[in-house]
Amino acid sequence: MKQLVCIGCPRGCRLTVEEKDGEYIVTGNTCPRGKAFAISEMTAPKRTICSTVKTVFAGCPVLPVRVSDDIPKEKIFDVMREINAVTLRERIGRGDVVIENVLGLGVDVISTSDLLKQNINAVSEGAK
Amino acid sequence: MNINDINRKLNKKFDGRVTAELKDGCIVLSGELEDWNDIVDAGMTAATPHSSTHVVNDIVLKNAVPEKMHIPSVQDDALDGEKCDVLIIGGGISGCSIARELARYKLSILVLEKEADLALGASGRNDGEVHPGVDLSKGTLKHKYIRRANHMYGDVCRELDVPFMRTGQYACFTHKSWLPFVWLYAQWRRNVDGIEDTRIVLGDEIRKQEPEISKDVAFAISNPSSGSVSPYNLVIGYAENAVDNGAKISLNTAVTGMKVENGEIKAVYTNRGTVYPKQVINCAGVYADVVAQMAQDRFFSIHPRRGTNSILDKKTGARFNTIASVVGAQTPGHTHTKGGGILHTAHDNLLIGPDAVETPERENTATGPDSIERVFAKQKITMPNLTERDIITYFTGVRAPTYEEDFIIETGRKTKNIFHVAGIQSPGLTTAPAVAEDVARYMAQKLGAEKNEGFDPIRHAPPHLAAMDDEQRAQLIKENPDYGVIVCRCEEVSRGEILDALRSSVCVPTVDGVKKRVRPGMGRCQGGFCSPLVTQIIAEYLGVELTEVRKSSEQSPIVFKSKKGSREND
Amino acid sequence: MTDVDVIVIGGGPAGLAAAAEADENGARVLIVEREERLGGMLKQCIHDGFGLRRFGERLAGPEYVERFMDKIAQTDIQVQCQTFVTRAEKTDEGFAVTLVSRDGLKTVTGKSLVLATGCRERSAKQVFIHGTRPAGVFTAGTAQHFTNRLGVMPTKKCVILGSGDIGLIMARRLTLEGAQVLGVYEINPTPSGLTRNIHQCLTDYDIPLHLSHTVTRVFGNDRLEAVEVCAVDESYKPIPETAERIECDALIVSVGLIPENELAQSLGVELDRHTGGPVCDAQLMTKVPGIFSCGNALHVNDLVDFVSESGEEAGRNAAAYCAAEQNRVDINIGDEFLYLVPQQLDLNADNSKAVFYFRSKKVVDKSTLRLKVSGEEVWKKTYPFLRPPEMQQLTLDMTKFGIDENSDVRFEIEVVK
Repeated sequence: MKQLVCIGCPRGCRLTVEEKDGEYIVTGNTCPRGKAFAISEMTAPKRTICSTVKTVFAGCPVLPVRVSDDIPKEKIFDVMREINAVTLRERIGRGDVVIENVLGLGVDVISTSDLLKQNINAVSEGAK
Repeated sequence: MNINDINRKLNKKFDGRVTAELKDGCIVLSGELEDWNDIVDAGMTAATPHSSTHVVNDIVLKNAVPEKMHIPSVQDDALDGEKCDVLIIGGGISGCSIARELARYKLSILVLEKEADLALGASGRNDGEVHPGVDLSKGTLKHKYIRRANHMYGDVCRELDVPFMRTGQYACFTHKSWLPFVWLYAQWRRNVDGIEDTRIVLGDEIRKQEPEISKDVAFAISNPSSGSVSPYNLVIGYAENAVDNGAKISLNTAVTGMKVENGEIKAVYTNRGTVYPKQVINCAGVYADVVAQMAQDRFFSIHPRRGTNSILDKKTGARFNTIASVVGAQTPGHTHTKGGGILHTAHDNLLIGPDAVETPERENTATGPDSIERVFAKQKITMPNLTERDIITYFTGVRAPTYEEDFIIETGRKTKNIFHVAGIQSPGLTTAPAVAEDVARYMAQKLGAEKNEGFDPIRHAPPHLAAMDDEQRAQLIKENPDYGVIVCRCEEVSRGEILDALRSSVCVPTVDGVKKRVRPGMGRCQGGFCSPLVTQIIAEYLGVELTEVRKSSEQSPIVFKSKKGSREND
Repeated sequence: MTDVDVIVIGGGPAGLAAAAEADENGARVLIVEREERLGGMLKQCIHDGFGLRRFGERLAGPEYVERFMDKIAQTDIQVQCQTFVTRAEKTDEGFAVTLVSRDGLKTVTGKSLVLATGCRERSAKQVFIHGTRPAGVFTAGTAQHFTNRLGVMPTKKCVILGSGDIGLIMARRLTLEGAQVLGVYEINPTPSGLTRNIHQCLTDYDIPLHLSHTVTRVFGNDRLEAVEVCAVDESYKPIPETAERIECDALIVSVGLIPENELAQSLGVELDRHTGGPVCDAQLMTKVPGIFSCGNALHVNDLVDFVSESGEEAGRNAAAYCAAEQNRVDINIGDEFLYLVPQQLDLNADNSKAVFYFRSKKVVDKSTLRLKVSGEEVWKKTYPFLRPPEMQQLTLDMTKFGIDENSDVRFEIEVVK
């Protein structure tokens, strides 16, 4: 038996998971997301990560990004290393891909802001 | 008091662990004690107030690690071999006001300040009151200067473009029965001591002006000549005007020793090289006795005294427009709780404090909770609506009194070319303009200096747009649109004002330096919103990365480099 | 005639929602924003979890707010960025707001005013941290600005004081970016932030949470060198014997948010001492007719979705505002509440879908929320638990309870035994 707190929404339900005959029985959840979360926590926990990538544009030193879908929890710092390696040289928009299929996880790293498009006054500093 | 009387008293208190002897015209105390307060007590016991025979207190604090003077990290030869007519040690109010007054003469002037900015000692960490002198008696140096200097403030602050207002002061009494005695005292102060604006006002009359003052206040001694000045802005104003008129100021420069031969200073050693001055003025504040020692001219001791002030939200400043303190009321506990009061600052906040606590540490300005609790408990007697919830910040300063509790303004007793401006504590900020005039005149005469005909007494501070009328403000924004970009929302400070501060004659391109000069971060959010923006503006101005910007000293970076844009090799 | 109908002060999520809704209701709208770009604090809240309620998606802050910005761009709403309101005054026709910008000084008039001014963070000094004044003391929001907008690190090794949501989020952010977060210290016996943030920001990254502990002192004359932490007793007083020195280079404080209402106060708006925001009716109009409040200026929300909803409510009513006669009755609350918004009801307005927001004062298990009108219970609802960090929202038809101007309207929370 395991106690968990659901991170699916701000409600923060307290879940109890019990393994019975290879199946997980979840209680304490108030919606289906809770059950899915509990099972995923028991089998292959996943998380989302948000960060920023460096850009070459003055006035916008970093652009916010996130993974397009949850990634395995144990891969968090590996993906962070990939994100940190990027230097963005194009004015991409919100939802555009920054790293495709990062580390072969089947998930992209995408931009979460149109900052570079709004930031029309910023001049490219070129590769520093 | 003769030396035998002193020793008799000391023996009674300290069982022979402390002895006094008369040496070179000073009362030198030696021995060892466990408690710093006892050491101070011994000094007080041996001293005669206002006497020119000073106590040199060499009693050792048992088991204590002596405090080491903060020496800036920079080591270079920027000043090596520099010659000057007058070397001023200390960039506080004394040093900077004297530098400015000396700049009226054709002299080469060099001011050394060991910290990263001016006014980082007691000069910048006090309540900013311009005192009337109602507590001073004739015959002291404090009294000699107070009225003259108080009268000078309007002109000086106008010339130096420094915030100042005459707020008036009420020393409040809660016992109505004291009125006849206090009336006599006030008469005495006015007629005998020459504190000409002293008068008695009754509680109801005060409350008509200041409704927040407690109903328990029966009457007060009123001195309308009291005022509030921004203490660090005054020091900066003096310094910039000195520099504009040819003086030189070197920050991050500590005096580490001197070469003295035949009663004359030949060279002054610093972390930035050796300087060769004709004359030295000791304005070293809490280190004045240490500097005197370096000059082989130590005849007094400084015993540091801490005081903590709290600054309240401007909303409270709007409710209280004067300076008030309570006299004779039952103060909770503590004998060390001296003076202190409620003061409407030159920037329209309220300031509460300070207290007074003896300390062996000259440079420890860390705050503690007790001070604030004590001071508030006392000041609530005057202003019952006062609440700690309105505090936006607090700070501690260390004053530099001698045991005689008067100023020392005189030339060296053994060393010829040093002049001491020491023991400068309250009301030293108030007296500075007059003291500076006298010291400069004396020094100029001694050096046979001519008048500097090109001297311009006017200094321009960065404009303060939020205080201007719409028309004036619009005009300035038209001339420089950066004045229309508000960076600090609490104090309404624009990008233009910050850039002006960075371009000023004593440029201190740090977050604290800018904050002192034009106030971003001084408001109720304490820089929460604007500090990243200010950091950015400084970095842009200097053409450096954000990681190179400092809060104050060289070792105080604001931020570090991130790992972005590179692949870690791990 | 006034220059516009509705002036919205603040271009964060609340102000944008208010402006869009006022525009939709036919008003001529101006948004005044002091920063260079719209978006408010969400520009730096790059973590995900926004918009679950509204869009059914877990968006990052910029994604959420830019959807509103896109919508605004499609309208005739006037937007003035990098513009600061230096003062606002009541006039015969409505309000006159004086703006400072690179273009100079300008006074704009409007019939109604929406104050969407957000909130500020309580500073280290406001929670009486003593010691020296080194570099390296940040509020969580300031640390977030440096990290997420400027791409620099405010610390390599830090301690966080306060388990407010921004503090928890920053604990995770800084860890992801390679800093060491030695621990989160919370003076209360229960966490201040959302439970899920305790788990996904602290537990996931093995960051210890120390409840009933606080930071009492900082050390270091230049950059921060260490902090002193202490356990506290039941009355929140530090216990000196438990003092411990922790070497680190920064202290990040997340010790509460204060609604920004200095402009509101200058206009004579009365504030509620529980929320720190204006006293409002269900239309989110303050006690000064024509001035509306929303978002975190009204009360501190934990979800941006609620901020947007209150913005829309305020914007809609500001657009419809005409100086009609009011008939207000107070809504009282029991001691079990931290607060409840709105604090009043205008009986002349449409209250058929009145939205209430509330927080309990303490963590309680199964509890019943009751509405009483002049002593008589007219409505109730049972909650499995109530926690102060997690705000509750409910919509009620307030017209069916027979409330008149003499009614004593009262909400109470009762713990089910």
